Amino acid sequence: MNRRTLLASALAAPFALTALGHFAVPAAHAEIDINTAAQFVQTTGQDLVGVLNSNQPVAVRRQQVAAVLRKAVDVDGVGRFILGRWWRVATPAEQQEYMKLFEETLIRNLSARFGEYQGVRFSLGRSQQRTEDDALVNTTIERPNSAPFSLDWRVGEVGGQPRVVDVIAEGTSLRLTQRSEYSAVISRNGGQVAALLDAMRRQIAALAARETR
Amino acid sequence: MLSLRRSSLLLAGLLVVSACATRPPADEPEAVAEFEQTNDPLEPFNRTMFAVHNGIDTVVLRPAAKVYETVLPQPVRTGVGNVLSNLRSPVVAVNDLLQGNPDRLLVTVGRFMINTTFGLGGIFDVAGATGMPGHSEDFGQTLATWGVGEGPYLFIPVLGPNNPRDLVGRGADVAADPLTWILANNGNTAENLGYARLGLTILDARANLLDTVDAVNETSLDPYATFRSAYRQNRNQQIRNAGELPSTAGPLARRAQPGNAAAAEPDAGTGALQPR
Repeated sequence: MNRRTLLASALAAPFALTALGHFAVPAAHAEIDINTAAQFVQTTGQDLVGVLNSNQPVAVRRQQVAAVLRKAVDVDGVGRFILGRWWRVATPAEQQEYMKLFEETLIRNLSARFGEYQGVRFSLGRSQQRTEDDALVNTTIERPNSAPFSLDWRVGEVGGQPRVVDVIAEGTSLRLTQRSEYSAVISRNGGQVAALLDAMRRQIAALAARETR
Repeated sequence: MLSLRRSSLLLAGLLVVSACATRPPADEPEAVAEFEQTNDPLEPFNRTMFAVHNGIDTVVLRPAAKVYETVLPQPVRTGVGNVLSNLRSPVVAVNDLLQGNPDRLLVTVGRFMINTTFGLGGIFDVAGATGMPGHSEDFGQTLATWGVGEGPYLFIPVLGPNNPRDLVGRGADVAADPLTWILANNGNTAENLGYARLGLTILDARANLLDTVDAVNETSLDPYATFRSAYRQNRNQQIRNAGELPSTAGPLARRAQPGNAAAAEPDAGTGALQPR
């Protein structure tokens, strides 16, 4: 029994999974400057940490998180990437509903855990250009009473603006992992996108219940 | 005896056949591509094993890890983790060698010497604190660098996500570990030490995964699929030796980049930064 192998089953760190797990946008086509990307991650991270650590009521903070996410992420692009081949199987009504639920999931995953993120800090690590189109910006996330962990943000240029394309922890890309998850739900329900939408609705309800606890 | 073996073979064969996932028809190229990408032809069987594992985990592993986490403060748990990593050094060194990485071999041997002495038997990661962080290797990774394919995805209860290549690698690592033979051949006390080491390794590994596994089980719409995807991606990173802490001292130091925030974490432990 070795530790690495079990560790290997770890998805991202919980923070990444729940807070940033849905920050994925399809690959952008304009090449992005590494410094622009690092600056963008710095600003977005500060905004997010500021909201997470503020003393405002939960509902207010949820609104603020939603605003930060909408500014930093092309939610439509992320959502489409994750739905993958099922996007064309879905009816236009299902596509629309999926996008709505996807954004809601993204926000609720953060707001349900405001308590856990109290005291979170982050700092930029090494920055490096990884692919021809995207920049990979490394950050270190620290929470009280937890070992720090490393998180890579893949930043692309969408509509002339830097946007987070993916978040990678321990070599695990969250958009790829989530695509696998959503596809499994649909496949196991006879290829019905509606089954995924049901599961997403239940998840949002559960997260909302958790928030009021 | 022979007929018993034959019938159990037959049973195993039937189990595997009946447990195969259905390959999508060829006229659905995207579905076929996904089926191949997922690399899980034994999915129904694996999902059953995953359910078995979750049963064991709920009743035994997770509660034990919770107690371990509650009873021992973080510095003690870090020390235990450091000792276990240090004891694994010979196996890591063998694999560094087999992968043809003399610099990484030197790091492993140097760390072992420094941490065993100045680190009081490996309790303190002195080498890591002075800029020579550790890394892990196993024979599954060595086989991968030799070009051996992973084979079909497997989920094994207690061991977790796996594949034939990594299972063979695990066996080879146990066989190559001098402690395996020392502890097995030196009487009851040594044998009990071996069990203690195994138990602590399991506790340490499971405790390190508490938050992560809980988060996946709470938020994933299909935890089995999430763990499968994450395992394979993470494994690929380990094989590439990517995502490791940069060295500022020792044979690997010249590859370190200046201004690295991660390097400023002296107590980040051995190997890559781990989620808590």
